[in-house]
Amino acid sequence: MKKIFLTLLFGVFLLGNTQAQELSHERKQAVDSLALEKVRDLSKYIKIIGSKETPWSEANRVIDRAEELFAPDAEIGVSSLTTNEVQYYKVRQYLERLMRLNYDRVEIDWYKIEYVSDLQRQPDGTYVGVITVFQTFKGFDKEGRLVYQDTTKKDITVYVKRKETQIGGRLIGFWDVMLGDMRVKETSIK
Amino acid sequence: MTNVLLLSMFFIKTSEAQSYTNLGDVQTDERAFYTMTKQMSQFMSRFNYEEDQYGTKISPESPDYRDRMKRKTVLPLLFDMDNPRTNGSLRDFFIADLTEKDANYFEFLGGKWYSEVSATFKMNGEKVDISMIFTIEQENLGSKWVLTNVYFSDFSKLFPKGDIAEQQKHFLHPMSHELDFMNIYKIFKTPESIEYYASNTYSPDYLSIFFYEVKCGNLVFEKVNSEKFHVFQIDNWYFEVSWFNREGLNTGWLISNLVFLKDDEKEELLKFYQPNINK
Repeated sequence: MKKIFLTLLFGVFLLGNTQAQELSHERKQAVDSLALEKVRDLSKYIKIIGSKETPWSEANRVIDRAEELFAPDAEIGVSSLTTNEVQYYKVRQYLERLMRLNYDRVEIDWYKIEYVSDLQRQPDGTYVGVITVFQTFKGFDKEGRLVYQDTTKKDITVYVKRKETQIGGRLIGFWDVMLGDMRVKETSIK
Repeated sequence: MTNVLLLSMFFIKTSEAQSYTNLGDVQTDERAFYTMTKQMSQFMSRFNYEEDQYGTKISPESPDYRDRMKRKTVLPLLFDMDNPRTNGSLRDFFIADLTEKDANYFEFLGGKWYSEVSATFKMNGEKVDISMIFTIEQENLGSKWVLTNVYFSDFSKLFPKGDIAEQQKHFLHPMSHELDFMNIYKIFKTPESIEYYASNTYSPDYLSIFFYEVKCGNLVFEKVNSEKFHVFQIDNWYFEVSWFNREGLNTGWLISNLVFLKDDEKEELLKFYQPNINK
């Protein structure tokens, strides 16, 4: 009898927990904004890391901040218009590569447009979506001549997971947003 | 001419919308990015008219959500306009069919849509191209992409559609059991025809052969070359969606092929994409 009661209680808890993990339409909009904030932070960090005016120590500090936006196993897949071969990088590796690019000056700018997909649930209940943004990159030589320019489409995976934390002895539930794999595709090159 | 007019109308509105966004700092013409169908998710939203021309999601409670008239104006923008097959009267019939009633929406979890991923593998040191077919399958709290079939010409060549007369020459007579199947060696004498000795309902399972070759280390994945989608969800129609990375205002995920297909013909075709669909 005691066993049946415990099973029932556990079942009710799980059911309640599952229902609590459902995202309402309004909540989804709030989560979208939160995810966009993370992408905006990333775009700011990329500009700072890429800039030749950023001191090395500062760039490394910003790389740490940028890395914290991503899930630990996130990867960045980069392809160009000339070859559709995808090069894979760890987040830190990608950002360090950006920091070391061999130009005297670089300009990294982001287009105003951003697109957020619908969130879909994966089998473990975590929501997953993709945010698309566009970036232009310009590399100049020491005479100030533009030697390379491209526009890339960046599709960034966003994971939204229900988590709990204890505040003042109370268990508070919240939606945690993490960035995942990012696909970088060239759309034009000059 | 109609297309140009439609695009112009759309772009005038999207240009106005630029002040609504706030991520970037590029002060150039962004119309190409607004009009680009940037994700399959956006393709579905535009196809169903679940987002407006600014890319803003329409709430399901809004009267504009899936509005038939507005859907009619957005749908032509989802076709590859450089292809006569997807830019003529067939397209107009399709749109008329779609918007005739409040139905025929493209649903993420609606089944019968497939992703075809063309990839390069190495088979015994030689580069080979294989197409993998995936579909969305629901599991536990959500869904995932699962492999349903592969197309590899070397596998298909193993099972040629031989002529019927030849096939009918290969059988074990019905009293073979009385002779301890002493004639069974005939099956293995012509290995290229071994499948003729299988039941009439037999069809080769290419996915299992693929798994076998990968497990044995004979097939090694190299890279993905391209991706496209095959959609069978809409009554009496099939369409293909491909990625167009090019200059201009007709880019991104667009309909690259369109076929009027009766549902019974569709069932036959579906067997290629998902051989066990009815199991």
